[in-house]
Amino acid sequence: MSKVKKKHRLIDAKEPNLLEDIFPYDLPPLIHLEGPAVEYIDGKPVEFDFGAVKDRPIFITDTTFRDGQQAMPPYTIEQMVHIYDLLSRIGGPNGVVRQTEFFLYTKNDRETLDQCRALGHKYPECTGWIRAVKGDFRLVKEAGLKETGMLTSCSDYHIFQKLKFRTRKECIDSYCEVVDAAFAAGVRPRCHLEDVTRADIDGFVLPFVDRLMEMSEQVPNELSAKIRLCDTMGFGISYPGAELPRSIPKLIYKLNHECGVPSDRLEWHGHNDFHKVHVNGATAWLYGCDFVNTTLFGFGERTGNPPLEGAIFEYIALKGGTCGIDTRAITDLADYMRSIGLPIPENYPFVGRAFNTTRAGIHAGGLRQDERIYNIFDTAKLLNRPPRVAITDKSGADGVAHWINEFFGLKGDDRINKIRVHKLARWVIDQYDVEGRLTTISDQELEAKAKEFFPDYWQKYKSK
Amino acid sequence: MATVEERVKAVTARKLGVDEVKMSDNFTADLGAESVDSIELVAMFEEEFGIEMDEDAALSVQTVGDAVKFITKVCKEQGVEIE
Repeated sequence: MSKVKKKHRLIDAKEPNLLEDIFPYDLPPLIHLEGPAVEYIDGKPVEFDFGAVKDRPIFITDTTFRDGQQAMPPYTIEQMVHIYDLLSRIGGPNGVVRQTEFFLYTKNDRETLDQCRALGHKYPECTGWIRAVKGDFRLVKEAGLKETGMLTSCSDYHIFQKLKFRTRKECIDSYCEVVDAAFAAGVRPRCHLEDVTRADIDGFVLPFVDRLMEMSEQVPNELSAKIRLCDTMGFGISYPGAELPRSIPKLIYKLNHECGVPSDRLEWHGHNDFHKVHVNGATAWLYGCDFVNTTLFGFGERTGNPPLEGAIFEYIALKGGTCGIDTRAITDLADYMRSIGLPIPENYPFVGRAFNTTRAGIHAGGLRQDERIYNIFDTAKLLNRPPRVAITDKSGADGVAHWINEFFGLKGDDRINKIRVHKLARWVIDQYDVEGRLTTISDQELEAKAKEFFPDYWQKYKSK
Repeated sequence: MATVEERVKAVTARKLGVDEVKMSDNFTADLGAESVDSIELVAMFEEEFGIEMDEDAALSVQTVGDAVKFITKVCKEQGVEIE
């Protein structure tokens, strides 16, 4: 064992310190950032002021209709319009969900875009997505869009193996022709640096971005090129010390400070192949990208993208307030997605049916005493989802009592104590001990028993 | 009229299916009461004596003897005639 360096004195207390400045409960736990973060770049220490994110204008962008839809059967127009409407509700009047992008290739694509815009929402702004093909700008212009994403793949896997360019220069020249076409069409290009975390940063990415910045100087500011850093295979690494091309801090720093791409023209787009997708997005925010690109519930190519709802809670945690976000619309969207046949795993954070359901009796006991003990935040207030218990042989009388109180909506002194639920608790235990049951007891079964064992409560709270 | 001790022992024996109950018996360790048995016992004591017991206090009682003392105290507090 290593030598003790410092003794720590117990600070005894008779009252709990619930650290409510960090865990306010009516908001998600807040992220307080103190002191600079240091990253060594080209051998020199560089300080990043993470705390500045509280006041920096950071945003979420959405690609549910583009990357999200590449991973599943196509949505109908009606479905997309409804989803767009709810996205607008989530992001609120300040446009925290700032943009969403649309394919423009089919009649349905264009019809969807028109119907979404007809809703009259200011946010999310509608942008396009096209291949890096000059002719495709006709589509963008006809659709009346001010901005479009375009694929400018930048690893040699793509440049040589997929796109079959003979040299990198030929590739850059080709991309820049399309960017010029965008400028000529009066459309702002958002260059999607596909596979950037597997690219030659010094040999290709930085020279390409340098050229984009030079070209942007020749056009009005509102047309200047934006850069989307696409971690296409989920190779990006968030922690300090990682090397390029995988280091997110170094990538952003170099684009931001060496190429001069301002933060409000930098966006991060991740994939979840290594379970890093959400924190990589948040990392991009902290190191200087103003935009993090997401999809609802992380639906996206292969393992998916940063989940929009995760970014929403990260945003609130970093900002210390909701900034006009309607978090309850997340639950409405999840319900809608399920209603159109898109499954969400039961344990999926924030929206899975069981995300705040406990099965252990000892946890249910904690919930019964103070729901904060086992609930991440006030999920009833923020998501319209009070914490629940699933009833099994492990639930105990505490679990049954919690279920009954939630079912009848009883609060404070009106709550039924566990002595009063003994008949239902016995029925539950006998299901397993006597009947040999192996499955969770459904809400429907419990509701039938609640009616049988608590007729007065049923009459008062459920008969209307 | 049976004593509190006799009534507590009778309820305990009936609920837990044991023949003999001693004052020193621990409900869990000696008589095999599981979690739900405990709350059923409390409910049965309440019915037997016509009283209402504080949940936490009642469930913290460990032995038959302590249950007799606790129930006697609650009966007196709630004006329930015993013995």
